[in-house]
Amino acid sequence: MNTDEFEKRLQRQPLRQIPAEWRTEILQNAVPAPNSSSVIRHSFLSTLTSHLSALLLPHPKAWAALGAVWILIFALHVSSRDSVPQMAGKTQPSSTEIASNLRDQEKILAELIGNNEMPTADRPKRLPPQPHSERRETTARA
Amino acid sequence: MPDESDLQRLYDEHAQALFAFLLNFTRDENDTRDLLQEIFTRIARQPALLRGARDKRAFLIRLAHNAAIDLIRRRGTREKYHGQLAEEMPAIFAPAENPDETAFRESLSRALAELPADQRAVVHLKLWENLTFEQIAETLDIPPNTAASRYRYGVDKLRERLRPLYEEIK
Repeated sequence: MNTDEFEKRLQRQPLRQIPAEWRTEILQNAVPAPNSSSVIRHSFLSTLTSHLSALLLPHPKAWAALGAVWILIFALHVSSRDSVPQMAGKTQPSSTEIASNLRDQEKILAELIGNNEMPTADRPKRLPPQPHSERRETTARA
Repeated sequence: MPDESDLQRLYDEHAQALFAFLLNFTRDENDTRDLLQEIFTRIARQPALLRGARDKRAFLIRLAHNAAIDLIRRRGTREKYHGQLAEEMPAIFAPAENPDETAFRESLSRALAELPADQRAVVHLKLWENLTFEQIAETLDIPPNTAASRYRYGVDKLRERLRPLYEEIK
């Protein structure tokens, strides 16, 4: 068998043609669709809207009433939260008031005791600590 | 992103050659389609890939060859699988009207499938893409001598395998 002849024979065998329908599919898939992210976002929003409308549409008045109740609760909550600091501000006494109250209480206490303050001369004097030898002498004299 | 018409032109000029090469290399029509898709998607997203290529056909075949090798590696025993199921292989040649020609093409298709993938790639590029050994070497990233020896081994095996039929219909 002649080698060249055999190889030429192989070369003459026509290869199969690529399926025509592949062209459109491959080229379409190769090029991404424009603004695919916005399409996805839009589809997500439309899905969410449709789900919400499907949920709310059967009883719109009931959902509206529930919403109104929630708004009322929220408003009450906000108004009560605003009034709390004012009340706290009112009840909290100032430092001058506290000082005057203390002074009054001292006066009342002094009157109750009998206004008999001990004279300063009768009050035991605090002596500085003495050396042990002097302490002993003092004790002996006593 | 290349212009869509550029991509279409690229497809019209080279997809047939890539299809034939990949079908002969992978022996699987679905794999061939997936690999073609992968190549054109890659080019659509990275048009700079083609800008530096001197020979677009050779560059695309190189891309196809590398992608096919990656696929075969991922699948592990693919070659073995194809060897065992030679009867279920897709036709890689156009149908013939002459029964002798039909028989020869079927036998050639089976004989090609029995070749190792590296020999089959070289034989395909030499016989049906008319590349020189230097071009094949550059495309497949192998030395020219290796390309030549792979071709010689491959053709010798085909000749042995097809000798009886070839002598009969010659």
